[in-house]
Amino acid sequence: MTALIEKETLIGKRVPKLDAPKKVTGAAQYIHDIELPGMLVGKIRRSERVHARIVRIDTTEAKALPGVHAVLTAADTPGVGLGHGKDNPPLKGDKVRCERDEIAAVAAETEDIAEQALKLIRVEYEDLPAVFSPAEALEDGAPIIHEQHPKNIPFTYDYHHGDVAQGEAESDVVIEDNYRLHFVTHCCMGVSGAIAQFDSEGNLTVHSQTQVPFLYKKEIAPVIAVPPEKIRVIQPVIGGAFGSKLDIYPFEPICIFLARATRRPVRVLFTREEEFLASPTRQPVELVLRSGVKSDGTLTFRNCRTLHDNGGYTSWGATTPFVIMQTISSLYRVPHCQYHTTVVYTNNPYSGSFRGFGNLQATFAVESHMDKLAEAVGMDPLAFRMHNAQQPEETTPQGMVFHTCGLSECLSITTEKSGFLAKHDANRETQAAPTRTGSAVKRGIGMASLLHVGGGAKIYRSDGCGTILKVDDHAHVTVITGSTEIGQGSETVIAQLVGEELGLPVSAITVINSDTEITPWDVGVHASRTTFIAGNSARGAARKARDKLLIAAGEKLKVDPETLDLRKGLVVRSDSGESLLELGKLIRSLHFARKAEVVMTSDYYEPPSVMQDSEFKGDVSASYAFGTQVVELEVDTGTGVIRILKVTSAHDVGKVINALSIEGQIEGGVVMGMGYAIAEHLIVKDGRMKNPSFRDYKLVTAPEIPVVDMHFIETNDPEGPVGAKGVGEAPAICTAAAIVNALYNATGVRFCELPLTPEIVLRGLKQCGGHCP
Amino acid sequence: MANVERYEAPESLPELTQILAEGPATMFAGGTDVVPQMRVGARPVRPTLININRLADLRGISESNGVVRIGGLTSVADILDCAFLKQVASVVVQAADCFASGQVRNAATLGGNICNASPAGDMIIPLLVLDAEVELASWRNACVARRRMPLCDFFTGPGKTCIEDAEVLAAVQFPVPKPHTVGRFRKFGTRPALDIAVVSVGLAGVKENGCFKDARVAFGAVAPTPIRGRNTEAALVHVELDGDRISDIAQVAEQEVSPISDVRASAWYRTHLIRELMERMLHEVHQTRD
Ligand SMILES: Cc1cc2nc3c(=O)[nH]c(=O)nc-3n(C[C@H](O)[C@H](O)[C@H](O)COP(=O)(O)OP(=O)(O)OC[C@H]3O[C@@H](n4cnc5c(N)ncnc54)[C@H](O)[C@@H]3O)c2cc1C
Repeated sequence: MTALIEKETLIGKRVPKLDAPKKVTGAAQYIHDIELPGMLVGKIRRSERVHARIVRIDTTEAKALPGVHAVLTAADTPGVGLGHGKDNPPLKGDKVRCERDEIAAVAAETEDIAEQALKLIRVEYEDLPAVFSPAEALEDGAPIIHEQHPKNIPFTYDYHHGDVAQGEAESDVVIEDNYRLHFVTHCCMGVSGAIAQFDSEGNLTVHSQTQVPFLYKKEIAPVIAVPPEKIRVIQPVIGGAFGSKLDIYPFEPICIFLARATRRPVRVLFTREEEFLASPTRQPVELVLRSGVKSDGTLTFRNCRTLHDNGGYTSWGATTPFVIMQTISSLYRVPHCQYHTTVVYTNNPYSGSFRGFGNLQATFAVESHMDKLAEAVGMDPLAFRMHNAQQPEETTPQGMVFHTCGLSECLSITTEKSGFLAKHDANRETQAAPTRTGSAVKRGIGMASLLHVGGGAKIYRSDGCGTILKVDDHAHVTVITGSTEIGQGSETVIAQLVGEELGLPVSAITVINSDTEITPWDVGVHASRTTFIAGNSARGAARKARDKLLIAAGEKLKVDPETLDLRKGLVVRSDSGESLLELGKLIRSLHFARKAEVVMTSDYYEPPSVMQDSEFKGDVSASYAFGTQVVELEVDTGTGVIRILKVTSAHDVGKVINALSIEGQIEGGVVMGMGYAIAEHLIVKDGRMKNPSFRDYKLVTAPEIPVVDMHFIETNDPEGPVGAKGVGEAPAICTAAAIVNALYNATGVRFCELPLTPEIVLRGLKQCGGHCP
Repeated sequence: MANVERYEAPESLPELTQILAEGPATMFAGGTDVVPQMRVGARPVRPTLININRLADLRGISESNGVVRIGGLTSVADILDCAFLKQVASVVVQAADCFASGQVRNAATLGGNICNASPAGDMIIPLLVLDAEVELASWRNACVARRRMPLCDFFTGPGKTCIEDAEVLAAVQFPVPKPHTVGRFRKFGTRPALDIAVVSVGLAGVKENGCFKDARVAFGAVAPTPIRGRNTEAALVHVELDGDRISDIAQVAEQEVSPISDVRASAWYRTHLIRELMERMLHEVHQTRD
């Protein structure tokens, strides 16, 4: 009597993350936990000035300290620049341009000795006039930050479609506002660090937290003068990234220089204060938005100009206009659009990539305007957005093709579930009501939507990912993927997708993803692409293995492979579910056959997207993600304190693969967006960070986290793995915009700046300017 | 902390005070202030490090002859859990409830909070309004000598007190509050947990027939030390509270403080908050039956 095996799916299930047990038990090996024999401690001496010529660096005393193995300055290095602008040499020799600048480095036996040695390095500076805002840096005669950019402008971006003059002429209402978005930073729980080690043949192994291991090899090679083929990148468990590890920052080549100089493994590990001072920030943006609408509620145009404070050097922050312009051009139907960004060097901290990549800033402005325009033409915020929302199969003037588009569904479900319209009206009634002490609390409800890439972003010639998959003699599967696990849950999703194809539970699957010597190529973790791209690649490899197994089983069982299926580790008859053969047995029989074979497949998935043309047009992603969030809040008009009560969210996720991890992704995104809006603020005064600690940099804490009511719109993307889209960044993008709209609904006061910390809110409510810290 | 040459963990007050008499030392109780400060170099490292946690005599809450005594090593968590304090001096417990987080409260001590002398120290404000005294012990003439001084005279500046190098804060004491004493503590932080007070306000006094017979008011984080609000006290006693009066008294409080601007708040905002908190506190007290 053979058992009948039902088909079971892993898709949409609540699968706990595979790496969770080792993380919660402390078994996970972070960069802190790796110990190599003979490893030295590397430490970096940073600038005390924000803009100064380095006259002399004297390392004699530091070098003489017992226990010190190397003291390096720019003179000991090739001096090749890092980063998107290649303008950031790891150690600065001629001058310093911002507070964090690296000017010398030490490798020593212990941390104490290394720290003592840093103090013994004598640096003589000659201060230069400094500049702390883009506007000042653009003035004639402003101090020049980089000689090769005498106007302090490393980049500009221009985009347009249609004719904004015509759009403006067709408008019944035109509005314009200035928005100012502030500095925040990632606050990864795991601080930055790296370990470098050379072998006797000059091969380099770097234990790096990078989220882009293959680009890392290519980009760091000229900086450290080691050819990429001699570089092996091993990633430890990464304690958070959120984009912060997309670029290479000076500490990594410095660590490598120290390892080369000492012929010993060296670890550089940041303190928490250093993590604040020397990590990238989210791009601060000054944004002017002008938009128009016809009296029937049809959007006519958007004209947007931004100033990007580039800080002292160019990292990924300078490229956020790519994403900002997408939202300006294509979040809702915009017939005419013009966009300009000037990126300006200053002596401030510099920005990198950060979840949302400019989109929080853009969405804040666009969705504030959507509310204002709706009010101006007498429509409710929902009807107005519905009227302008795109539909499936629409192509935006920027060339993005929305094969699927759940924007209208997101709008309707969030507003329906939250009772948006009734509450919105009721709150407006009480806006102007006088408040008495003790009953100073007003309620507000606000909404905002988002558009973001959901199927990768073709910013390199390939946006692909490779997978190698093998099935062993006990039907255990090893998936070797090019993509990186940075805590987002990619291992688990990949295991689910593979298990689904091969009829195996996730426990039968091991995902290998942390060693460039083993894994195939991948662009890296960014642009919410991993589930979509690495997922499709893993699926491709699994399908090939499935085909191979079914053909072999068909031969062995002398039946048509088309009639067979893989379920629960067995080969079964697909119609009846009758169990025919154990998978392990089948594989062993392949190994022991006359013409022996292993089951090992590979796949490279390249999405059908294109690179943008010179006008920034083109279908840059294989799929697009949409979402709407409705925020309900209370504001204490006596103290300015905002309490977020509830967030109702709907995201077009294509298809839920892992319900647990997508819920975590959304909750985490909402909290991050909320921190951006009301709590987090990296205070930079005259180029210096004033609050580089968790005491004064306020992350949202557990009691502040609101109820998050989550809805998933499954639009089944034809290109996505089992229909899924990327949603890594999406949930953080529109929360701040919904909060500021809710604050307006509560008080009748419109804020154009973030963060909405209590003092700033109170000043706004009292309509008094002045400076907050 | 490389420069520490000697570590001691005495178990009795005579032992501790004798070690202190030998020369400069750094004491730590919970270590929640001293350890972070030493790490960032905000506090000079002295050659002797003394762990005072083993002095069981300095821990605990008791009452005798109408005086409440809280040992210097009593943790903030112990204060929060103390039913007796909740009953006779709930203002101290209210402050403990606003203090840091569970983990920090378990380690942090009352003596540490007072001796760290932060203008924002949360436990100091309720003790000021209860007219507390500190008891300082040292080794003199071959035995433990004790002196007392009013808490309101103890602080001399941010992080500075009248304590001498050879002294330890053995206890804090205050008279058992009289019947009908009302006590309130309000802390304003920008978030509900793990925050340093932007400002704080404490109030205690005997309230009968809607009127304060006596009152003590204290403010945190508005001056170089925690301060008593003498003008506010004077405006508050023997006054029948109503909406207008409350707003007048809050205005006195606002005029009495002269805070600074720093990364946490501007002087303007702190001043505004003092008024707002005072007003809310008085409304709430007014509405509560005596
Ligand atoms: C995460 C965090 C959150 C915090 N939140 C708050 C908060 O909400 N409110 C608040 O007020 N504080 C807060 N603090 C500060 C700190 O926890 C308190 O000040 C605490 O009461 C200090 O007590 P301790 O026993 O840890 O002191 P320690 O760090 O051990 O000592 C502090 C100082 O007092 C001296 N000292 C200690 N005990 C004695 C004694 N018996 N006699 C003489 N000198 C002594 C030490 O030598 C040292 O100079 C926080 C700290 C942290 C790290």
